[in-house]
Amino acid sequence: MSAKQRDYGDLLVLMALAGFTLWYLLDAIRVSSAVQNLLLILPLSLVVLAIAALEVGLRLKKGTLLIREESEGEPLHRTLPVVALFAAYVLSLETLGFDVATVLFVAAFLVLKGERHWPLLGGYSLVFGFGVAFFFAQMLPYPMHMLILPG
Amino acid sequence: MIDFVAVEQGLALLFSSFSPWMVVVPGIIIGLIFGATPGLQISMAMAIFLPMTLYMDFVQAMLFLTAIFTGGSFGSGIPAILMNIPGTSSAIATAFDGYPMARQGRHNQALGVALVSSVLGTLMGYLILFVMIQPLSLMVLKLGPAEMFAVILWGMTLIASLKGEQVLKGLMAGFVGLLIGTIGFNELGMARGTLGQTYLLDGVPVIPAMMGMFAASELFKLANKGFIVESKASRRVKLSEIFEGFKLAVRYPWVMIRGGLIGVFVGAVPGVGSSVSNLLSYVETQRRDKDPSSFGKGNPKGVVASESANSTSEAGSMATLLALGIPGGGATAVMLAAFAMHNITGGPQFIRQQTDVVYAIIFANFAQVFLLLLIGLLFIPLLANIIKVPMRYLIPSVLVLAVMGSFGLTGNMTGPVTVLVFAVFGWLLRHYGYSVPAAVIGMLLGAMAEKSLLHSYQISGGDLSYVLERPVTLLILALLLVSLFGKHLLGLVRGRKKPAGA
Repeated sequence: MSAKQRDYGDLLVLMALAGFTLWYLLDAIRVSSAVQNLLLILPLSLVVLAIAALEVGLRLKKGTLLIREESEGEPLHRTLPVVALFAAYVLSLETLGFDVATVLFVAAFLVLKGERHWPLLGGYSLVFGFGVAFFFAQMLPYPMHMLILPG
Repeated sequence: MIDFVAVEQGLALLFSSFSPWMVVVPGIIIGLIFGATPGLQISMAMAIFLPMTLYMDFVQAMLFLTAIFTGGSFGSGIPAILMNIPGTSSAIATAFDGYPMARQGRHNQALGVALVSSVLGTLMGYLILFVMIQPLSLMVLKLGPAEMFAVILWGMTLIASLKGEQVLKGLMAGFVGLLIGTIGFNELGMARGTLGQTYLLDGVPVIPAMMGMFAASELFKLANKGFIVESKASRRVKLSEIFEGFKLAVRYPWVMIRGGLIGVFVGAVPGVGSSVSNLLSYVETQRRDKDPSSFGKGNPKGVVASESANSTSEAGSMATLLALGIPGGGATAVMLAAFAMHNITGGPQFIRQQTDVVYAIIFANFAQVFLLLLIGLLFIPLLANIIKVPMRYLIPSVLVLAVMGSFGLTGNMTGPVTVLVFAVFGWLLRHYGYSVPAAVIGMLLGAMAEKSLLHSYQISGGDLSYVLERPVTLLILALLLVSLFGKHLLGLVRGRKKPAGA
């Protein structure tokens, strides 16, 4: 993506941060409007909202409100499948168990990123997935949900 | 200042038998492994192995735990350099320049720099502790909540303004981080921002959130790359380059000494410790450098600054633990448990009555640093092989480790879900040029900042003039203003002078 391209994402992130701040401030006020409760939250929230307004104002002045000025890395849509896969992994842990979910996640990631050496792909996913799940299950004092291995 | 009779007794405690030393090497190796594994914490290692100290005498137990601490503080820098995943919050600033060095194929040098800075830092820290333990303990007692709040605010502002041209975004990320850090119950038992979820009552789990924002979001960014270091020639692990790193580190003695001093004094402040000292040292080094723009792009001085500060913080937090019986962080909290297991209470009484034991612990740490140098040298080539692993194998493996490690920290699904949420948050912040470190530090310090401010309010009875009676607070606030507006003021002054001289 070129350095100067129309992008609503930047403004959306800014608005999301300001939105979260406003919601959090209102929630804190709803809980209690005592000075002790708002001592840090109120001034800090006002500063964040002021910074957001200043940022919008400066960018309006420069005419760059809907243009991404600086970004790191690749376009968001190229990374989205990886993010989705990771989300699916985390959300499936309780259903598939740490062992099976990990094996499937590693295998799916390798396929997604172009690994076509099937014995290596299968072998690594199984050994790493089961190995790590077993190691943590043994090390941690809490029960870990497993489908095949002992939890 | 130094009790020489106790020094002699301390040496006798250490060298009258070999048994205290038998636990040091295993301790360093355990620390290195836990520190170098993303998701596992030094405090976790110490907690897991704490029951073993029941079978040791007190000195041996302390040597074992401090060996884990020493090994871990260097170990946490290894993934920070190789994968941009600080093993613990004390290695955050190590990643700022260590990781860019690795990506330039200078990972051997970066690891060498980190090892020597850690070794010399720990040595310096314990030397300062040896000389200063008694005066330092008195000084720490004088720091009140107002000073703590001012230190937090100053540190926060410094971090947020690291990205020179994006100061507003940096400040915003840092302050939103501070707000997130206050989610949950406050000191008065009021729960804010929990959305009715019971698992948020204790606040956002900070370490899983940190893993998500640093590790996972960075890995998302690298998902389409082949290797951490693209050039095959640069991926080699060379002992000669590690030694070059050694030389590189000692080339900046002032950076190291400054980092050491910041580490020891900030490390002695309970609850602040190495998480802040490495960042303060980094920012100070960058600020004073002739070429501040080279930081964040693989400047070895950044690694020296961070590693020397986080290593000396160990000595600082030990000072607070020994002299006051107050743990500065997770690791010293476990040590406090070891104190209790051996029926020992830290504090001024302990220092006065068992000075020989205190000196024995300090002397043992002098020896530990040389052992760390040797063991670290053996481990680095082993661990540096990580960069030879293709990213398609490395990324899912590290993500899995982060998820499992976060589960280990919380004991339920809160950890993994937090990693996921903050991974996406960090990925978006990173993508749009916000400072991820500022947001993370904010989260780490949010609750502490609120507590300090509340205590100051309670002590002063809401009277703002209380601040005017605290010279240290005023000094820190002045430093804060200078670090925020100093450059602009200097620019203004120079701007006014120019026409006059023209």
